[in-house]
Amino acid sequence: MLLDYDRLGWLKAALLAFTALVAAFLLLPVVFIVLLSFGSSRWLAFPPPGWTLKWYQELFADPSWIEAALTSARIAALTAILAVAVGLLASFALVRGEFRGREMLRGLLLTPMVLPVVVFAIAIYAFFLRLGLGGTTVGFVIAHTVLALPFAIIPIATALEGFDKSIEDAAIVCGASPLEAKLRITLPSIRIGIFSAAIFSFLASWDEVVVAIFMASPTLQTLPVKIWGSLRSDLTPVIAAASSLLVGLTLALMVVTALLRRKLPT
Amino acid sequence: MSVEIEQSIARMRLPTGLAGLLPALTLIGLFFVVPVLALLLRSVTDPAPGLQNYAALLGDGTYARVFFNTFLVAFVVTVVTVLVAFPVAWMLAIMPPALASLLFGIIILSMWTNLLTRTYAWMVLLQRTGVINRALMAIGITDQPLPLINNLTGVTIGMVYIMLPFMILPLVGTLRAIDPMTLRAAALCGASPLAAFRRILLPLSLPSIAAGGLMVFVMSLGYFVTPALLGGTSNMMLAEMIAQMIQSLLNWGLGSAAAFILLVVTMALYALQLRLVGSKRPAGGA
Repeated sequence: MLLDYDRLGWLKAALLAFTALVAAFLLLPVVFIVLLSFGSSRWLAFPPPGWTLKWYQELFADPSWIEAALTSARIAALTAILAVAVGLLASFALVRGEFRGREMLRGLLLTPMVLPVVVFAIAIYAFFLRLGLGGTTVGFVIAHTVLALPFAIIPIATALEGFDKSIEDAAIVCGASPLEAKLRITLPSIRIGIFSAAIFSFLASWDEVVVAIFMASPTLQTLPVKIWGSLRSDLTPVIAAASSLLVGLTLALMVVTALLRRKLPT
Repeated sequence: MSVEIEQSIARMRLPTGLAGLLPALTLIGLFFVVPVLALLLRSVTDPAPGLQNYAALLGDGTYARVFFNTFLVAFVVTVVTVLVAFPVAWMLAIMPPALASLLFGIIILSMWTNLLTRTYAWMVLLQRTGVINRALMAIGITDQPLPLINNLTGVTIGMVYIMLPFMILPLVGTLRAIDPMTLRAAALCGASPLAAFRRILLPLSLPSIAAGGLMVFVMSLGYFVTPALLGGTSNMMLAEMIAQMIQSLLNWGLGSAAAFILLVVTMALYALQLRLVGSKRPAGGA
């Protein structure tokens, strides 16, 4: 009875009320930040005395915010490309290869996901200081690709495991070269996995704070570093405006993902 | 003929497909394994060879407090997350699809929203004069503003917020895999809802709760951003202390020793979690 939605009785009302509360809790900060960004109070009074767009104007008038956003976008895009390319090759090897220690290697490649980021952050910071890569775009992209790789490998490997290899073999039997068969048969079939990998690696870099705090230099800082710096000095509503734009971006990504999943059924 | 067969057998035994792993292994080896090992080396050589960094960390009351505090926060966050996540996952598993999609949408939105954005929202919401405090005062729960930020309460609220999706989503899968018939059978045989919950629903979901809870605990242990922004100076957590040792105090020896302790604890718990997931039996052997 406990798993029959319509036969739970009073328990259903109680559980639904609790679930609604949790949903409100999850939604609260996101909705609040968007409302706050349009409020006219510099001291973040809520409900605000009036509504305004001036925080957005301040945001767009400050070139350092724009520059930070562009830096983040550039690093995240490069990270996504690199992570998907390296992750794709690795996934083929992990799913189809036959060699000793395969599971161990898979574990090794996924470790950056579970190791506390702060440990990796100080390790790569020290390493890059020595190599002269600290505070450079190359350094950022390398460090973020290490962190993004697990998020690229997992969806691609999952998609590849679900793909019937005999279809690829059939293409080869029909005269396609192995590479051609992979490019024209296999890759299109696992496109959802590749697409998820690209989104997750992009987000892994775009949202990354800890490594970025260590790596950033006065001339090269990502958006999270810029927000972090502002948060530590004061809680200006300009951060709310920047945050709301980030919420908008998240919503856009969710819509694109949902649409693509509907359009490209696997 | 026999040479040919031997050759083909040898070819079959040769590792195939290793080449694809080369770029990934180079990247992880050079920019993950080597830097982390170099850090470990630094913890026993900086400023002088020996274990004095570890001795300092483990022998000092100030550091002991940070370790204690870190485990306490991770523990509280895990317990609260499990207690809040279970009823939600339960409802999600059985509610009508339209309602479930809406709820999934909310969970994904919260999970995908920029980490700093979410933390900033809590910083404003939990202030002395923030919305939460004024709402609590308006409905008469308290007369004066409660200290909700720069302390354990703030960290717990902010961390539970972040961890909830990681607990809810895997639990939904587990609960959906349980056959509702088992619970109907229990009810037919006269089991009260409480007995059915305690003896069927809970045991069947326990492996998933344990695995998810352990994951939340491990993630909380090493968390940096939320404790740094919502916590107070008197209850610093380990990740924050490590960052401070390196960034402000430039004490590389002590910082890397602390980082290594965090690494060992995390990896040990993670190995335990893998075993739990691996031993998850399909039908109720909890």
